[in-house]
Amino acid sequence: MNIKQEIVSRISSFPTLPIMVNKLLFALNAQEPNAAEVNKIIQYDPALTANILKAANSAFLGFRNPVNSLSEATFRLGTKWIFQIAISSLIYSNLRRPARGYELSDTELWRHSMAVATVSENLRNLLNIRDAGFIYTAALLHDIGKIALGDYVSQHFDDLQKEIDENKISFEMAEEKVLGIEHAEIGALISENWHFPLPIIECIRWHHNPDGAPEVSDAIDLVHIADSICLMEGLGIGRDNLQYRASENALNRLGITIDKIELAVSQAIVVLEEVENMFKDIPAAEAARR
Amino acid sequence: MSLIVVGIADYQTSNRADDVIITYSLGSCIGLSIYDPIAKLGGMIHYMLPLAKISPEKAVAKPAMFADTGIPALLNRLFAMGASKSCLIIKAAGGSQLMDQNKIFNIGERNFLVLRKILWKNNLLIKNSDVGGMLSRTVRFEIDTGRVTVKTSLGETEL
Repeated sequence: MNIKQEIVSRISSFPTLPIMVNKLLFALNAQEPNAAEVNKIIQYDPALTANILKAANSAFLGFRNPVNSLSEATFRLGTKWIFQIAISSLIYSNLRRPARGYELSDTELWRHSMAVATVSENLRNLLNIRDAGFIYTAALLHDIGKIALGDYVSQHFDDLQKEIDENKISFEMAEEKVLGIEHAEIGALISENWHFPLPIIECIRWHHNPDGAPEVSDAIDLVHIADSICLMEGLGIGRDNLQYRASENALNRLGITIDKIELAVSQAIVVLEEVENMFKDIPAAEAARR
Repeated sequence: MSLIVVGIADYQTSNRADDVIITYSLGSCIGLSIYDPIAKLGGMIHYMLPLAKISPEKAVAKPAMFADTGIPALLNRLFAMGASKSCLIIKAAGGSQLMDQNKIFNIGERNFLVLRKILWKNNLLIKNSDVGGMLSRTVRFEIDTGRVTVKTSLGETEL
């Protein structure tokens, strides 16, 4: 078995996500999350409901009167916000782990994931791109393949770096060359294994190479640009450093200017601090048990 | 010794000889250390973007986010603590880039350009710098000696 076959054969043993994640994703219709449906799914999980209420009552949002129920939180903050907090805390509780060979601690990888999700959401708003929650979810999970690939990156790091230095290729291209598969593809295979909606799988698969996607999309371009911005800003960065390419085509397709990038960066950093505080107290129950 | 951490879009100062100021994970951001060896005090800023005009309200809330609001704020704080302009030793690290720079993703480069412009306008010079490239950097600054070190995945060097 070569390295690629070995890596792919292990994908089925990668941690699963609670069924609720899929239920939530499929409750997102074409453009807007369905409020009644989302709340119906969440209310059966007391721990998740408690997390959402805690987040809704965080100092960051600054409500004078406490939010006491899911429907009240929906009324005040909107279904999209509820969905984002729900999906973030489910992923946080179940998949918060390090990507070892990349020298990304669980905290750093989570920080990077939240940063890319936050910047994606900011850019999406600035560009008026409609999305029910797939982009946010894909942004949160875009580097999930790094968790699975970490041990192999660790074993072959010198070869990877040599490829990059000698051939001026990006880190994921070196992974492809040395290991036979790169972390974005592994992430896509993992999310296929989870039976995720196709748009999310495609965002994860093409997040370093949006021009390679069989069908280019705003969602793929956004996740790519948000990831590039967060790598550039050093938000949750590992041993792979900034050795990635940003696609000029993706920028042009989205019509992003330097001003919009800088504005998204300046907005995201403030939000990110608050969001990180919101998640600080949520226990990583599932992850701790494994 | 106490370790003073400079967050993103933040600056910190100290005049305690046993303090060490540190900032982690500089990508395109710049970590600027300013030291007065006579008064034995110094400060470090970790700014993200060159110019505050992109978001004036953010510049009010977090001046250290931008070079043009953060660096003067840090300098003024140091002068208020007793630093004198003629003594200052200034060192810069960061300003990394992604691969294949097009005009849009060169925030790192512009961060350094604006820094030089601001210092030049104030008749100040950078003593040493380690900027550009594709590595993320962590910068450590000792108040006692003024020693500044830069750590990357390749190792640690003195600036």
